[in-house]
Amino acid sequence: MAYVSFLASVLEQSSPIVLAALAAMITLRANILNVAVEGMMLVAAFTAIAVGNASGSAALALLCALVASILMSQLLALMTLRFSADFIVAGLGINLLAAGGSLFALEWFYRSPGGLRPITFPDLWHIPAGTLSYVPVLGPALEGQSVIVVLAFLAVPACSIFLYKTPIGAYLRASGEDEHAARSAGIDVARMKALALAISGLLAGLAGAQISMDKLHFFLPEMTSGRGFIGLAATLFSGGLPWTTAAAAVLFGFFGALGDRLQALAIPSQFVLMLPYLAAILGLTFARWRLHIRNRPARILEPAPASGSSDPQRPKL
Amino acid sequence: MRRAVIDLLKAIRAPVAAIALTLVIGFVLVAAITDEPVRAYRDLLLANFDSLGNFALFLNRATPLTLIALGVIFSFRAGVFNVGGEGQLYAGAIAATVIGVSLSSLPAVVLFPLVVVGGILAGAFLGWIPAVLKVRLAVDEVVTTLMLNIIVLLFTSYLANQVIRDPTSYGAVSALLPQKIWLPAFPGVPGATSGIIVAALLAVLSWVALFRTEWGAQLRASGTNLRFATTIGVPADKRIVMAMLLAGGFGGLAGTLYVLGIGHRFEQNFSPNYGLVGLTCALLARIHPIGALATALFYAMIINGAAYMQISTDVPRSLVNLLTGLLVLLMTARLSARARG
Repeated sequence: MAYVSFLASVLEQSSPIVLAALAAMITLRANILNVAVEGMMLVAAFTAIAVGNASGSAALALLCALVASILMSQLLALMTLRFSADFIVAGLGINLLAAGGSLFALEWFYRSPGGLRPITFPDLWHIPAGTLSYVPVLGPALEGQSVIVVLAFLAVPACSIFLYKTPIGAYLRASGEDEHAARSAGIDVARMKALALAISGLLAGLAGAQISMDKLHFFLPEMTSGRGFIGLAATLFSGGLPWTTAAAAVLFGFFGALGDRLQALAIPSQFVLMLPYLAAILGLTFARWRLHIRNRPARILEPAPASGSSDPQRPKL
Repeated sequence: MRRAVIDLLKAIRAPVAAIALTLVIGFVLVAAITDEPVRAYRDLLLANFDSLGNFALFLNRATPLTLIALGVIFSFRAGVFNVGGEGQLYAGAIAATVIGVSLSSLPAVVLFPLVVVGGILAGAFLGWIPAVLKVRLAVDEVVTTLMLNIIVLLFTSYLANQVIRDPTSYGAVSALLPQKIWLPAFPGVPGATSGIIVAALLAVLSWVALFRTEWGAQLRASGTNLRFATTIGVPADKRIVMAMLLAGGFGGLAGTLYVLGIGHRFEQNFSPNYGLVGLTCALLARIHPIGALATALFYAMIINGAAYMQISTDVPRSLVNLLTGLLVLLMTARLSARARG
């Protein structure tokens, strides 16, 4: 049953990327390029292990991880919305703060800069074996997955419904598309952006908890290893649409899982690890190139002002 | 004269306030975890000047930071958010090493320029990719530069482990570069690289190029108002690509001077995130070349100082990483009601 274990590995590797991509997507719809997803994930991953180690409760660990990640998102909201800091610079600052803060905590509280490896750690709830065997193909692959994997794939329709079927979702999109119009319509744009960041924090928190809590049960500095950025790439790649974003994220997860399989062959691991990043650049370029080709007739009719600048989907920096 | 002083004070008020606030928060943290906060802070800020050896390490730390910050300044001034300093640094370092080691039989007068040019070109190539993608297809340069960083780090790790690895030494390091092309030491400070002189000279040159030439004015116009720039006939796309070539070239030069003057060989993961810290220096200096030299020296001081602090007291050196994050957050915050708009 090689394909079942491969599919299971795709699901497991995709779920943090799907969550990170949705986290970046929600803020992108509010016109924020969120580079801080990575840092929020790292904070959540660390908090999950620290709290799980101290309390012995998986539920409490997960809850605290989510709270910590949301708090980081609100710190970013405070700096950018209240004190008008630049979103990208402040986001990079959040990433530095998360990496530095978790390393500082490891060195100071645990006296082990290498990482935190509790001897025992409470397990997350996993789908029990045998409960889904009647579903062909997908059932066996889903068995044994953590509750966060299930939540990750439920988060896709949830985000879609939130954005397109609820009034608050519509306000959020309006704030992102035309800030001035939204403001004249009586929408509190700053509050909508803060809300988008909070949801982003929640999703990134789930992603971070999945990375440290699902199978590994330990925390290492830099253990999120760029998955937040891959999620960001998936979002940009698909123009901020929930289902396409999730599909792109699963594609990256597929490359990751494929990489693990290929590692058994003679291919150097570094090239395998490069795959998702190369795929992200090529994918983005291809998506842009298609847009470019599609827009070409309009450009012939009326000369474009300047290439490289006018791009409606790009958040204002 | 008085007016110039007032202007200068206005320009440096915000960064100085951010640094001061960060140092105060840091001091509170240090005071909470150690019995000797004053000793810890003295070491953090001043231990760099305790001995000639410490001073040499301080100069060595400041050199790549200054160069990367200068590169970042060119890209930022042209309106490109280049987060790729780390990748450009590694590209320069690996290219310089490969050329230096594989052609080591050449005489120094030929080899030295080859190594330097090769390192700069490798970095510039890495800056060129996101620039062309941005100008031609509007691909977001933040994402491409971030991804290229990881790709280059993995690629150099492969080269260091499997291709150019020196089997006689421990760890993933290349063979030593021939001694004839090592940079001479900083005059009077054995153990320090003279690369810092190059960096300081380039800081002045960058200032002249950006603020005292027509080319620099065009580059800055492309960054501040692209539509206006193209309307008045500035070839903005060309200026943007050139700025990114320069940015990458500076990163590549930083890597080259690192292997020539400090490391003398390529080591896997030799950089403690110089890319991001260099970017921080540039932002802290309000993207001004001369200011970048000053902030790079400040950063080199506290990064090295953190190590001395850890030795003499029990404060972990990662405190500085935490403070760096805080500083970045505080730095761009605008506290005046006017700016909040």
